[in-house]
Amino acid sequence: MKRYQGSSTREAWVLCLILGTIMLNFPFIQIFNSSQLFLGIPILVLYFFVGWPLSILVIYLFTFQLGHDEQPRKSDSSDRTES
Amino acid sequence: MISVQTVALTSVAYFALLFGVAYYADRRRAQGRSLISNSYIYSLSVAIYCTSWTFYGSVGRAATSGLDFLPVYLGPTLIAFTWWFLLRKMVRISKQENITSIADFLSSRYDRSATLGAIVTLFAVLGIMPYIALQLKAVAHTFDLLCNPLTIASQPIQTLIPVLPGYIDTALIMALILGLFGVLFGARNLDASERHEGLVAAVALESLIKIISFIAVGLFVTFGLFDGFGDIFENFLQQYPQRESLFRLGENSISFPNWFTLTFISMMAVMFLPRQFHIMVIENSDESHIKKSMWRFPAYIFLINLFVIPIALGGLLLNGGDTTHADYFVITLPLSAGHTWLALLVFIGGFSASAGMVMVSSVALSTMILNHLVMPVILKFKLRMGDYSTVLLNLKRLGILLVVFLGYLYYRIIGDSYALVNIGLISFMAATQFAPAMLGGLYWKRANHKAAIAGLSLGFLLWFYTLLIPSFVLSGWLESDILERGLFGISLLRPLELFGLTGFDIWTHSLFWSMFFNLAAFLTLSFFTGQNDSEAEQASRFVDVFGDVQFISQRQRISRAPTILEFTELMSKFIGEKQANTVISEYLRQSNQEIDQRGNLSDEEIPKLKSFTERTLAGYVGAAPARIILENYLSTRGSKMEDVFDIFGSVTLSRTASREQLSVLYEASQIVAGSNNLQQSLDDILALLAQQFKFDLTVIRFLDEEQMMLTVRSHHGMSSEHFGGSERNLDMKTYIGTAFLSNKAILVNDTEYLDKPESAAVIHREGIKSFAHAPIVLEGEPVGVLSAFSRSAKGIFTDEFVALFNNIAGQVAIAWRNHKQLTGLLEVREQERELQIAKTIQMGLLPSTTPKISEIELAGLCVPAHQVGGDYYDFIERDDGSIDLLIADVSGHNIGSALIMAETRTFIQARSANIDEPAKMLRALNSFFYNDLTRAELFVTMFYLQYHPDVGKLYYTSAGHNMPLLWRKADNSVEWLDAEGLILGIRPEVDFEQRAISLYPGDLLVLYTDGVTEAENENNELFGEEQLQKLILECTELPPEEIINAILQQIRIFTGQHHFNDDISLVVLRILDSPEDDELAEA
Repeated sequence: MKRYQGSSTREAWVLCLILGTIMLNFPFIQIFNSSQLFLGIPILVLYFFVGWPLSILVIYLFTFQLGHDEQPRKSDSSDRTES
Repeated sequence: MISVQTVALTSVAYFALLFGVAYYADRRRAQGRSLISNSYIYSLSVAIYCTSWTFYGSVGRAATSGLDFLPVYLGPTLIAFTWWFLLRKMVRISKQENITSIADFLSSRYDRSATLGAIVTLFAVLGIMPYIALQLKAVAHTFDLLCNPLTIASQPIQTLIPVLPGYIDTALIMALILGLFGVLFGARNLDASERHEGLVAAVALESLIKIISFIAVGLFVTFGLFDGFGDIFENFLQQYPQRESLFRLGENSISFPNWFTLTFISMMAVMFLPRQFHIMVIENSDESHIKKSMWRFPAYIFLINLFVIPIALGGLLLNGGDTTHADYFVITLPLSAGHTWLALLVFIGGFSASAGMVMVSSVALSTMILNHLVMPVILKFKLRMGDYSTVLLNLKRLGILLVVFLGYLYYRIIGDSYALVNIGLISFMAATQFAPAMLGGLYWKRANHKAAIAGLSLGFLLWFYTLLIPSFVLSGWLESDILERGLFGISLLRPLELFGLTGFDIWTHSLFWSMFFNLAAFLTLSFFTGQNDSEAEQASRFVDVFGDVQFISQRQRISRAPTILEFTELMSKFIGEKQANTVISEYLRQSNQEIDQRGNLSDEEIPKLKSFTERTLAGYVGAAPARIILENYLSTRGSKMEDVFDIFGSVTLSRTASREQLSVLYEASQIVAGSNNLQQSLDDILALLAQQFKFDLTVIRFLDEEQMMLTVRSHHGMSSEHFGGSERNLDMKTYIGTAFLSNKAILVNDTEYLDKPESAAVIHREGIKSFAHAPIVLEGEPVGVLSAFSRSAKGIFTDEFVALFNNIAGQVAIAWRNHKQLTGLLEVREQERELQIAKTIQMGLLPSTTPKISEIELAGLCVPAHQVGGDYYDFIERDDGSIDLLIADVSGHNIGSALIMAETRTFIQARSANIDEPAKMLRALNSFFYNDLTRAELFVTMFYLQYHPDVGKLYYTSAGHNMPLLWRKADNSVEWLDAEGLILGIRPEVDFEQRAISLYPGDLLVLYTDGVTEAENENNELFGEEQLQKLILECTELPPEEIINAILQQIRIFTGQHHFNDDISLVVLRILDSPEDDELAEA
């Protein structure tokens, strides 16, 4: 496989995937699993609806970085018949 | 309440819009300006993930059980991290292999297994049916709701069209319409690689509509009916404090394992649901779109979920906490608030959500059914059809309708009784079963088709047992007996507590068991069973799709190969004539194929064309059917795909080939260098060739220059007198003759096509399948031919092999040259040895001692220039006390001269007793010799003397010989003796003059051959008689031997060489003082 210069970024998705899965699962969410309210909104609901866009932001930054690290190979927009 | 007509009309108008967009997109594509080829459209189309389940079901779920609607969307957000690697890989592979569906993907990865394709298809249809049912249910339900919110059960469709019979409900009409849409855009024509831009455009538009309408209703509820998010939560918690647990996990039905299960299966579902695969992979037009969609798609689902909780809570608040119709709060809220247009928009949004899913799913599934269930049957029974393409297209259309109606059937039987979200999750769990085979196939080369089939089958069995059966029971369609007591009353087999596993929710339980068996079978079989070559090759094509490694295509050839035209005809049958002609000419143009006179490709190009054809067909009918089609086609016309017997071992990378090539060449050169025995070398080279390449016969023939024929010098392998052993005429009628005369290697890869009848007869009689002749060339000229014949394999002579074969022929040439040189050398040595013998013999013919005669002193010496020479001298003592002296020179210094000299000696020795005078002797010798000498083109000069010591008389005669020198001691004068006489061998009869002189004591006579006087120095000056005379005058007092030595010495000094160019012979005679004389003198 080709080595890209920013291979640390390239591998970062594994970390993000694992971190994300942990943070959105037991026991991590147990921290916010209470009946407390914040700004009138239950804290767990708030956690999800703030954490979620944050993880999307991380993906955005990640893809942004990807764009700098490598030029994606464009496949033909027409059907490619020969490999 | 909105009139049926309005709803119907709006729906139709929306349909028309979708149709228009789709049609426009298709037209744009035809013009080559793709409408959908941008990352926005791609991201929107991926949002096909959000179906009516999202649209209506999430709210229902949130209202009844709280936050557990979320994992279904968090999962896809998390998996989106992997897309640049996972999804892109799937896309790259699918483009490369012309994949048409997920079933095709799996079947293609796993040995193009038709069985696997069929299993995946069956399971996919079974797994997705509930999902389609769910969509139909949602659309039909909301349609009815919109028209008649109070009596949900009524049939408003009959109000619209009163003639319709009662059993026709809204869902059926919807199914019809959606099926029609699917047919129109999913199967308008047969399209390679299954891309449908019109369909994608429609789906993207629908995604846009559904998010707009959902956010609209969300805003309306949150900010219209309530005063923002905080207000809704506040109100809700005040009114229903006991339902506060909706906002927490771990209680009620939402356990943590359940949460994880839902996250996991939605991760897998978003990748592997057939419609997701179709939209994300098959319809992807550019890999770079994936990158943007990695965050746009999660953002989309985040936005569409943002208002789920407010709408659910608002619905509960406004409906007095009743959750019965919570699934439809989205539409009932604006409706009951009197915002009918908003409700209509929501209906359109929900309809969009359903329609997109149903259309794409039905298209994807119908492709799978056609390619993996129907095609194999058609091919198996070899149904004869003139033009498959129309049939296939119609079958596909039928398939789309079939899938939609299966969904409808499911809806009619059990769909009504089950919550939307549960139906959806059943499908998710089914899609999850594809995960091990998919991921294993993408990243693990050892994963094989047996493992995939076993894993999938077990996974689906468990899915069916632990999920589908309970759902049948819960819907009342099955007796609850099986749930309580287990299958056959075995409690360990209770579907919800399989093998005694209790304490988990239905999803986690099902996920655990299905994955456990699925993975276990997949891993175990992958570890313990192997792959064949083509499967391994396919595996590496998938796993290494991003690698730099060139795919190793198994070198194969086709016997009785079809022509380009025939391949095109075959394709036309399936994809239509026009399309077939287009792709084939594109292929030929792109690959710059050279076409020979027969309108055909070379032996090595044909298999490439075959796999191109297969791949192209795979784009229409899937990999497994395409393979079967090609195999059937080839077998009907008697062609066979043969593994080209790999001339260079099992792997044919060119690098490896050159290494193998080198090693064979190296061995051949070792053979040549290591042996002096030509026959041995040739035999060994042929044996090496035969052994390395499994030839049945290898032959080396060399040109026999006398007969102008190629005669066998060595052969290895099968022996046949008329074949391996016989010589060949040198003409262009045979291949071998052509190879020799044109000095070019001739290859025949398939002996079924031979154009030289003379050769063909022999070749066919011997059952030869392929052969090669390479000229053995020495310094540019052919000297022979190296041939190899195979009875078993065709098409073995690749370019690499030919290069090698020529090189080996070169080695044979070297062996031949070495042999020739060596033979020459040996001959010379032998000759020299013989000459040495001759020399010894010849020297033995010369007198070894001088006669002891008291009156004279004698010495003689002959120094031949070469081993043998023509000089001869002799002394013959006679009984009367006289002595004959003779010196002769036979022209030339070769064996012939030596023989003549020997003959001369024999004659003289034999006849001297009878012939007592020199002149008579020469005369007799001449007549005896004349014929021999004339025949040998030789002549002899000779000086013959006879000295009578008693009287001091010397008789002499000459046959053209150099004049001897006589030194008279008395007056220190020199005389040259001469007599008339012709050289021997000129005339048959010659008279020789005989003269006589007297010799006195002290006189010195020197006889010599022309080697003395004609010795030449570097200035081309001759030694000459004068110098000889001068020299003799200086050493008259020396003994005869020393005089000879002095003369030789002087000649050496004169010529500057130790070696003489001509034979030199000298005889010196001195007359001694007689004792009587001495006494007299003293007296």
